[in-house]
Amino acid sequence: MSKKKKNQVSSKPLSARIYNHRWFYLMFLPVLVFIIVNNYLPMLGLRYAWYNYNGVKEPVFVGWDNFAKMFSKAGFWRAFYNTLQLSIIKLILNTFAAVIISILLNEMVNLAFKKFTQTLIYLPHFMSWVVTASVFGLILAPTDQGLVNTILKAIGVVDGTAESPYIYFLGSKTWWRPVYYVINLWKDTGWGTIIFMATLAGISPELYEAAQIDGAGRWQRMKYITLPSLANTIITVLILNLAKVMNLFESVFVLMNDIVVEQSDVLATYIYSQTFNSGTIPNFGYTTAVGLARSVVGCFLVLVCNYASKKTRGKGIV
Amino acid sequence: MKEENKVIDERYVYKPKKRKLKPFEIINGIIFVIISLIIIVPIWKVLVDSLDAKTAYGLNLLPQTFSLVGYKIIVTTESLYRPFIISIVTTLAGTFLGLLLSTLGAYVLIQYEMPLRNLFANLLLFTMLFNGGMIPTYLVYKQLHFTNTLLAVLIPLSINVYNLVLMRNFFDGIPKGLFEAAAIDGCSPMRIFIQIVLPLSKAALASIGLMFAVGFWNDYTNYKLYITDSKWYNFQMKLRGMMLGSDLPTASGVSENTLKNSAVMVAIIPFMIIYPFCQQYFVKGVNIGAVKE
Repeated sequence: MSKKKKNQVSSKPLSARIYNHRWFYLMFLPVLVFIIVNNYLPMLGLRYAWYNYNGVKEPVFVGWDNFAKMFSKAGFWRAFYNTLQLSIIKLILNTFAAVIISILLNEMVNLAFKKFTQTLIYLPHFMSWVVTASVFGLILAPTDQGLVNTILKAIGVVDGTAESPYIYFLGSKTWWRPVYYVINLWKDTGWGTIIFMATLAGISPELYEAAQIDGAGRWQRMKYITLPSLANTIITVLILNLAKVMNLFESVFVLMNDIVVEQSDVLATYIYSQTFNSGTIPNFGYTTAVGLARSVVGCFLVLVCNYASKKTRGKGIV
Repeated sequence: MKEENKVIDERYVYKPKKRKLKPFEIINGIIFVIISLIIIVPIWKVLVDSLDAKTAYGLNLLPQTFSLVGYKIIVTTESLYRPFIISIVTTLAGTFLGLLLSTLGAYVLIQYEMPLRNLFANLLLFTMLFNGGMIPTYLVYKQLHFTNTLLAVLIPLSINVYNLVLMRNFFDGIPKGLFEAAAIDGCSPMRIFIQIVLPLSKAALASIGLMFAVGFWNDYTNYKLYITDSKWYNFQMKLRGMMLGSDLPTASGVSENTLKNSAVMVAIIPFMIIYPFCQQYFVKGVNIGAVKE
């Protein structure tokens, strides 16, 4: 308060503006406190990447040792490639499926059924990953109580004996990744259609009428009108999601287990398990270094996507 | 008189001809029946099995021996209903806190002639670009003694810069003249905020509030990181523990799987109840985001 009074003497207009907005500063205070505690204090904590720190003893400065250790560890590289592979394949599959479903939804004639389907396919998006993992854990259980294995038994693919055992989908090195993609498709494809449906709703019906008069069939109309008008939205969706590639955590965390670490471990789960499940005293310094690498790559991706977004649609994403 | 009118009406009224469905439309309909089944069957199966006292579930899509015992155990066992109450409390408190921070922040960000306004905006936007990461955040929360308190699960989700920006875009659409007129009439900024801005933003408050509510209800990561005392677990944590088999109460008269199925249903039932009524707000929320300037 006293500082503001001093300013008033030296530079009247600025201090007057500050005084006029005094209540706004007070209103911003809670936001500022939250953002400092949740975002800026942790950024200061990034200095531990250059220390060995176990949370009890004083941190010891070790220079670039933690980074050298990180780059020499196979576990880090495996997590890095898994992060890229799982998120990018998931992104492509989900976008592709959402486009197809949007186009088909758009062709639907019965509006009541269309509305019902839309309501239904948005639903799984709102279920937590814990619930999703629980539902599929129960459905895919490798026992006679799991729905999928019961069906497989009924049609004679497996019979639950030692020679042809039930398939443990979430605990199988070959099945884990495909199952992960399928679960993601189940959960988020429907939600992904919203943005495409909004674009399709904006296409002028005159275009379709004109094409129809010119003798274009249904497939030609889809190919020459619907699909091209979706192109921009598809690029936007891909760019927006590419920026989030490094964020992959909870979906993998709740679906993975010790058997499939090799197929499923991503950077965030690697950081978590190295810190909290390693069985020894954790070195927060090392896991901070891995986290810093993750944040830097993530930041780089956001900037690239922001640039790409400005180029393609004239506006950034942040 | 009325009869005559009706006759004339029917003669001149436009009646769309009942068109025969084309093969494509039939196939399209069938595709969506299948898609709907794919979405609903896993959830339906969990619901059915949660109501079944028998454990040999098989392929039945209706309970063989109907029983509510799984649910009864959840509402009568303290270690199971306490997490549910924690979930409700944190969802309500978190949604309120989240909306409070988003609206306050957004209201300050539309004061374009305020000194330091751009610095504040950049401070917020920078957090979307770069973050300290899991471990430094964990260490900060630990040093501030937030771990094992509900603060640790309320703070990370309630300060959501993305929602704040959505809210700001919405506030930007309110005519500036309203603020000026109110200010000339002697309204304080706080009063303008409460009596003009908030009442005009009901749709945005509903959409963004629902996003916050779903986020808090579904939160698992923050509990996993910051809460080790099972006293403060929410229902997602409890459900996860049960699924991993470590956290099942020693209950009698019900199989482990029926109890697991019931717990899954309890975690989604509150949402299922409000979803049909609020679906439009959820969709609106996405579209505010999509058309962000």
